Amino acid sequence: MNVFVDRCFHCGADILPHQLVTGGKDNEERSFCCRGCLGAYLLITGAGLADFYRRRETDGVGLISGAYREEYGDSYLARFIQPHGVYHAIDILIDGIRCAACVWLNEKVIGRLSGVIDVRVNYATNRARVVFDEATTTPSTIFHRIVELGYVPRPYTRSAAEETASRERRDLLIRFGTSLFLTMQLMAYSFALYAGYFQGMSPGMKRVMQYFSLLVTAPVVFYSGKPFLAGAWRSVRNRAPNMDLLIAIGALSSFFYSIYAMFSGGEVYFETAAMIVTFILSGRLLEQSARRRAVSGVERLLSLAPTEALRISGDLMEVVDVSLLKPGEIVLVGAGERIPVDGTITAGSTEVDESPATGESLPVPKGEGDCVVAGSINLSGTLRVRVERPASDSFIARVARLVEDAQSRKAPVQGITDRVSAVFVPTVLLLAAATFFWLAMSGAPTGEALMTALAVVLIACPCALGLATPTAILAGTGAAAAGGVVFRGGDVLERLSRISSVLFDKTGTLTCGRPAVIDVQPFPGVVAVELVSLASSLEAGSRHPLASAVVAFATWKGMPVLAASDLLTVPGGGVMGTVGDKEVVIGSERFLRDRGITGIPDGAALSAGETVVHVARDGSFLGSIFLRDTVRPDAGDVVGYFVRLNISPHLLSGDRRETACRIAAEIGIAESEGDLLPEDKAAFIDRLRGRGETTLMVGDGINDAPALSAADIGCAIAGGTDIAIETSDLVLARPELSLLCFAHLVSRRTMSIIRQNLAWAFVYNLIGIPLAITGRLTPVYAAVAMALSSLCVVGNSLRLTRIRPGSDKLS
Amino acid sequence: MESSLVLLLVLSLFLGAGCWLFFIWGVKKGEFDDLERPKHRMLDDDEPGKKP
Repeated sequence: MNVFVDRCFHCGADILPHQLVTGGKDNEERSFCCRGCLGAYLLITGAGLADFYRRRETDGVGLISGAYREEYGDSYLARFIQPHGVYHAIDILIDGIRCAACVWLNEKVIGRLSGVIDVRVNYATNRARVVFDEATTTPSTIFHRIVELGYVPRPYTRSAAEETASRERRDLLIRFGTSLFLTMQLMAYSFALYAGYFQGMSPGMKRVMQYFSLLVTAPVVFYSGKPFLAGAWRSVRNRAPNMDLLIAIGALSSFFYSIYAMFSGGEVYFETAAMIVTFILSGRLLEQSARRRAVSGVERLLSLAPTEALRISGDLMEVVDVSLLKPGEIVLVGAGERIPVDGTITAGSTEVDESPATGESLPVPKGEGDCVVAGSINLSGTLRVRVERPASDSFIARVARLVEDAQSRKAPVQGITDRVSAVFVPTVLLLAAATFFWLAMSGAPTGEALMTALAVVLIACPCALGLATPTAILAGTGAAAAGGVVFRGGDVLERLSRISSVLFDKTGTLTCGRPAVIDVQPFPGVVAVELVSLASSLEAGSRHPLASAVVAFATWKGMPVLAASDLLTVPGGGVMGTVGDKEVVIGSERFLRDRGITGIPDGAALSAGETVVHVARDGSFLGSIFLRDTVRPDAGDVVGYFVRLNISPHLLSGDRRETACRIAAEIGIAESEGDLLPEDKAAFIDRLRGRGETTLMVGDGINDAPALSAADIGCAIAGGTDIAIETSDLVLARPELSLLCFAHLVSRRTMSIIRQNLAWAFVYNLIGIPLAITGRLTPVYAAVAMALSSLCVVGNSLRLTRIRPGSDKLS
Repeated sequence: MESSLVLLLVLSLFLGAGCWLFFIWGVKKGEFDDLERPKHRMLDDDEPGKKP
C-alpha cells in the first residue's frame, strides 16, 4: 500500500494524507502538498500562465527550503536599489530556478506588476535585474510576488571582483572576435600568396597582398595578443619563462621575420603569427567560461543569516538590523525562522535544524540554557535568545572569513605547459643565438645569419605546444561534464591528477545524510509488521527525518499505514496519538517512561551513531526501531580505488570521534578525525599541504566550506549546500561518490594526452630545428608541417571525448 | 587589373569591419552574457497589452 495520496501538482512532492490540500479553477480539482503551493498555482493560472506546468522540464521534486517564508522590508531593501535612468533598478538572486520555464514564469509574473518597467532573468546565474518606477511600486512588492510563486528571492549586490570578472570576459571576447575576423581576412591573402608561390605571381601583386597581410596582422598581434605580450613581459621581469613568453616569442618572431622577408623579397609568415594568437585566445575563452559561476560563495553564505531580528527590551518589541544587536540583549525567534545570532536560549524549548552549522541531519532538541548558532532554523517553538556575540562575529560570519582567508592564501600553481616552457624557451633562444653567431663567425652576411636564426625560433613556434594543453583540457572537461562532473577550470584537472591524499567529510558525503531503519526489535510476542505499521501510521504526520525514515521503511516493505488521530508532537520527545481506538506512544526512552510505560530495555546496547525509537500501545511496550545514517553504497569502492592508487584517504568529521571511527572502519579508511570545527578541518588540510601533499577535499556542508577552499581541490556533491558548491573547484552533478573516481580517471587520461601532445611537439622540433639551422627548410614546407603537427595534436586530444563513466572499470 | 583588385580588397575589408563593429556593439550591450535563455525566448508567446 502506498501512503502517499498523490503528487503535488505544483512542486511535485509526494503528499501525505494529512497534508493534502485540494483546490483549483474551472472545475479542475488539483492536489497540493500545502497552502503555499495552492496559492502559487492559483496565482500562476489566474495570470493565464498555466502553460508553465506544460513547458517546465524538471525532475527536481519539492520546493527549496525557505520558500513561502522569507520576507524583506522596504527599509532593508532600500540599500540595494540603484538609479537606472529616470527609474530604479534592483538585482535579485532567485533561488529555486531549475529550468527555462522557471525563468519564463518569473519574467512574466514580475513583468506584469504595475510599475515594473523591465525584468531580465539570467538563466546561467539565476540573477534577475528588475527596473521599476518607485512612484508606483516598491521592491518589497516585487519580492513578495516572487515568494508567492514559491521561489526564494534575495537582494544581491555585485561585488567588485565580479564586476572585474565580467569586464574581463567581455574584453577577452572582443579580442578574440577581432582576431578571428582579421585572421579570416588574412587567410584569403595568404592563399593567394601560396598560389603565387607555386604558379607564379607578378611582383607588384605579391607586394600588394603582403601589404594587406601586414595591415590585418598587426592588430591581431598587438591588440588581440596584448594579454600574452603583457604576460610575457612580466615573465621576463620575473625571470620565469612561461607559456605567455613562448606565445609572444612565436608571434613576434614570425611577425618581424615576415616584415624583414617582405622587404628582402622573401616569403611571408604572417598567418602563423595571427593563427597562434587566435588559437590560444579561443582556448582561453573556453576555459574561462567553465568558471563563470564560481564567484559569489561568500556573499551567499552571509545572506544565510537573517538581516533583521525582533529585539525585546522590557515590554518593548522592535525590529532591528542584526548588526545593531549587542551581547546581552534578548531577541525573539518564532517557529520556522532562522536564528539571527549566536546566543543562549533564555526561555522556550524547541528543536533546531543545525544542518548548516554541523552537517547533522537530525534536528537537535534545545531548551533553556542551550546555545544556538546563527543561520540554523528554529523548527517548533518560540524562543527568547540572549545574544552572546555580535552579528559580525557569528558562526556564519566566521566561516565566511575563513573561506575568504583560504581563497586569498591559495597561490596559483604552475601548470605543466609553464614548466615545459621554462626549459624550452631558453633552449630555443640559446640555439637561435648560437646559430646566428656560428653563421656570422663563418663569414655569412649578417642579414642571412639573422634570417636563419629567426627561422629557428619560428620553426620552434609554439603552435603545437600552445595547443597541446588547451585542446586536451577542453576535450577532458567536456567528457567529464557529459558524465556528470564539472571542472571549474583546466588547472583543476591537472591538480586532480597529482593528488596524494583525499579527505572526506562524513555526513552527507560518505553517508547518505539521512537516517534509515537498520533493525526492528519487537517485544517478545509482538509481530514486527504490527510494530512498524503502528509507528508509521503515527509518524506519517511528521516531517521529522526519523519519522520519514520509519514511514519510508514501512512503504518499502509494503506494510499498511492506518489513519491516526489526536496527534500530539513533543519536540525532542516523540509523538502520541490514537490509531483505531488504542492510544499509541512513540519516541525516546525518557518520553515513554514519563508516560508510565515500563519494560523498555536498556539503551546501553546502542552503538555509536545509532538512534532508537520505542513504541507502546495502551501503556504496554511493543518494541524498538533502530535507525542510523547509512553509508553510501559506493563509498567502500571509491575508498578502495584511491587506496589502490596509493592515495591516502582520511575522514574528517564534525561528529563524535567514535562515530567517525566506526564509519571509517566500515569503509576501509585508516585515518579518521572527529570533533572537528570548520577551522580545524581547514587547519588539518593546511598541515597536510605543509608536508607537500596535494589534497582533495570532498564535502557538502557549510561547515566544510573553509576546508574546501583550503584544499588544493575542493569537491562538492550535488544536493549539498550552495556554499559548498560555490567554494569548490570540482562538482559532482549527481549524488554518486563513484563519479569521483571517474573525475580522477578523466584527469589522469587528460594529463597523459597532454604529455603525448607535448612529446609530439618536441619531436616535430627535433626534426625541424636542425633543418632550419642548416637553412634547408623552405617556408611553405615549414607552414605545411606546422599545420600537420597542429592537426595531430587536436586529433589526439579529441580521443578524450570518448571516456564515459564506467566505460573503463575503475582501476 | 591590379588597381581593381586593390579596390575589391579594400571594399571587402570595409564590409568585414562593418560586421566587426556590429559584434563589438553586441558584446558591449551584454548580448553574449547569457547564452541559455535567449534560445528559449522565441518560444514565448507575445504579450498583448502592457507596454511600459
